[in-house]
Amino acid sequence: MSNLSGSYDEYDSKQLLASYGVPVCEGIVCTDVSEIAGLEEKMPFPWGMKILSKDIIHKSEAGGVHLNIKSRTEAIRSFDEIIASAKAYAPDADIRGVLISKMISTGFELIMGVNKDPQFGHVILFGLGGIYVEMFKMVSMRLAPLTRYDAEQMIGELPLTKIFKGMRGKFYDKGEVINVLLALSKLVEEHPEIEEIDINPFFIFPVSGCAVDAVVTASQKYI
Amino acid sequence: MSKEKLMEGFFNPESIAVVGASDNPKKAGYIIVHNLIQKGFQRPVYPVNHNVNEVQGIKAYPLLSQIPEDVELVVLITPAAMIHSVMDDLEKRMEEKGDVKALVCAAADYGETKTEEGINRQNRLLETCNRYGIRVLGPNCIGVINNLNGVDTTFVDPGIPPSDFKMQSGISIVSQSGSIATSIMFMGASRPLPVKFNKFVSLGNMTDVDFIDILEYYERDDSTRVVGIYMEGYPKGKMLIEIMGRIARKKPVVILKVGRGVKGAKAANSHTGSLAGTDAVYDAAFKQYGIIRVAAFRELIDTLLTLERMPMANGRNFYVLSQTGGFGIFCTDLLEELQFVNMPKISEDTCNILKEQMPVMSTIDEPEGYSDITVSASEEQHAQALTAVLKDDKVDGVFFLTVTPTFLQQERLGHCLAEAYNSLEAKYKKPAFICIMAGDYVKKSRCVLEEEGLCSFDTPNEAVVAAKHLIWYAEYLKAKEVRS
Repeated sequence: MSNLSGSYDEYDSKQLLASYGVPVCEGIVCTDVSEIAGLEEKMPFPWGMKILSKDIIHKSEAGGVHLNIKSRTEAIRSFDEIIASAKAYAPDADIRGVLISKMISTGFELIMGVNKDPQFGHVILFGLGGIYVEMFKMVSMRLAPLTRYDAEQMIGELPLTKIFKGMRGKFYDKGEVINVLLALSKLVEEHPEIEEIDINPFFIFPVSGCAVDAVVTASQKYI
Repeated sequence: MSKEKLMEGFFNPESIAVVGASDNPKKAGYIIVHNLIQKGFQRPVYPVNHNVNEVQGIKAYPLLSQIPEDVELVVLITPAAMIHSVMDDLEKRMEEKGDVKALVCAAADYGETKTEEGINRQNRLLETCNRYGIRVLGPNCIGVINNLNGVDTTFVDPGIPPSDFKMQSGISIVSQSGSIATSIMFMGASRPLPVKFNKFVSLGNMTDVDFIDILEYYERDDSTRVVGIYMEGYPKGKMLIEIMGRIARKKPVVILKVGRGVKGAKAANSHTGSLAGTDAVYDAAFKQYGIIRVAAFRELIDTLLTLERMPMANGRNFYVLSQTGGFGIFCTDLLEELQFVNMPKISEDTCNILKEQMPVMSTIDEPEGYSDITVSASEEQHAQALTAVLKDDKVDGVFFLTVTPTFLQQERLGHCLAEAYNSLEAKYKKPAFICIMAGDYVKKSRCVLEEEGLCSFDTPNEAVVAAKHLIWYAEYLKAKEVRS
């Protein structure tokens, strides 16, 4: 297995995660505005467009996210705006292009990820995602490798677990969350060089789920 | 000799030399010898002091190297500045006799001061001991206690005579801090029935012997049935957790860990990184490996006693039996907040038994999972209620709250409850959290309960938290069994 190294942009991160069975919202990479024409035949509107750069983590802050794009004209304008504002935000960033994906309906926002602790190695994390991660800090962790029991405990120990038990007839797919947590564990077991994985948000639906944004960072030492 | 075998030198030495032993009751070197005598250590003790011929009636030697008999454990209570001359003498002894296995260095002013002098002293101590294969505990610690054979290298006078420590226990403690170790010991001594810990170690600077050595010893030690830990930090976290986890499958491990700050956590730019502080990771690891983490000192002791004395809970259905409405409601509130315990509805048969046996004003199983037997309940009725509820198949455990001893004879209450419990068939001996809530006033009652092998608690707060730990651990063990 080849070693990973350095930080990965959203597209490459999602490719890697998908290869381990994590469901992701796929997208198409546009490196030039000219590539937009005709794209709607492959991917019907509305679109979400995001700056694609391994150097820009906070995409919204960089003016790098445009949502609900409904036409080609709009898409072309957004492409230029996204590139321009990202360059203004981070002049030294290596910009690969714009990642275009289909708009999907909002799911319940979770965070899942991996961090590398200097003493304990890889730590898998699960919790309430979206923009309130820092505010509520409703997260649980376990050391890798993870067993199914561990994954269930991670979910069970948070108040968040109630969404899986169902509320007003609405349930979310707990099995899918467990699968993702186990996939993350397998990924870092096979790639000890991974420093960090951050999937936020992960939309969970009544059936299945989808990694909406993801970043994978590996150690630089293999470069 | 293997490193493990040498550990016997601390817990089970053939003889002990106390370097710096004293006849002056104000000196630490006095208390060490005094404790060894008081606790009835049956093997030879050799005080070393070059100014006197005897210490507390025991023949003293001017130098360690001049003790003609074998010495297995050396306790150093000399000022740190003397370390070089003491080590010169120890080297002389080891060249001639080679008998010392273990050394406790109680004094402070070594490496922990981070001064050049302190570090030099510590290095000298280690250098000599490493050369002769002597295990070192400390410096800057209170050392070792083994209450099974009277080994006590501490300079702590617990304030009450050894015979007052009536609660024999399989609880062994290891503490990174000497003062906290001392405090735990005093808190154990202040219980209604003073707790005699099985073994007790304060680690200090951990120059040689550290958490892993002691925990592995406790793991092998059959008389240690429950392990209590106070911890600040440790560099080999993963290894430590794995050992604790291995022990936790066989005997409960309860830890009070401080240092909840995120120092040492890598500064990371993303959310995942910023949430994974070192303490949070420890916390996750404890849960994963079946290690019970407590947040307070009393909780530590209550939890250790609960785990040692009570059977594992088979489930989360705990009944609340109360002698008064007030404490019943109070306890019910706590359980509801905790969301960890269900209050089960008992069978009609049990209800009928209670209605028949309890005072007329009693409220039986209303609301579900709760009965109030009223202040007019006699000692015998207390016992009957406990028996009836524990015999109900829907019940996994009980909280029994009784308050005012005014109408009840204290010892009698204790005896009735204990007799009722102890005469139950094994399958009905479920966890029973008995709170007699009138502070020190009901000490006599609690003493009887504890002498008879039960646990008693100050208030429902302590009982409920201890119950939570017991249930959690039982579930961990059960899940572990299913998986393996």
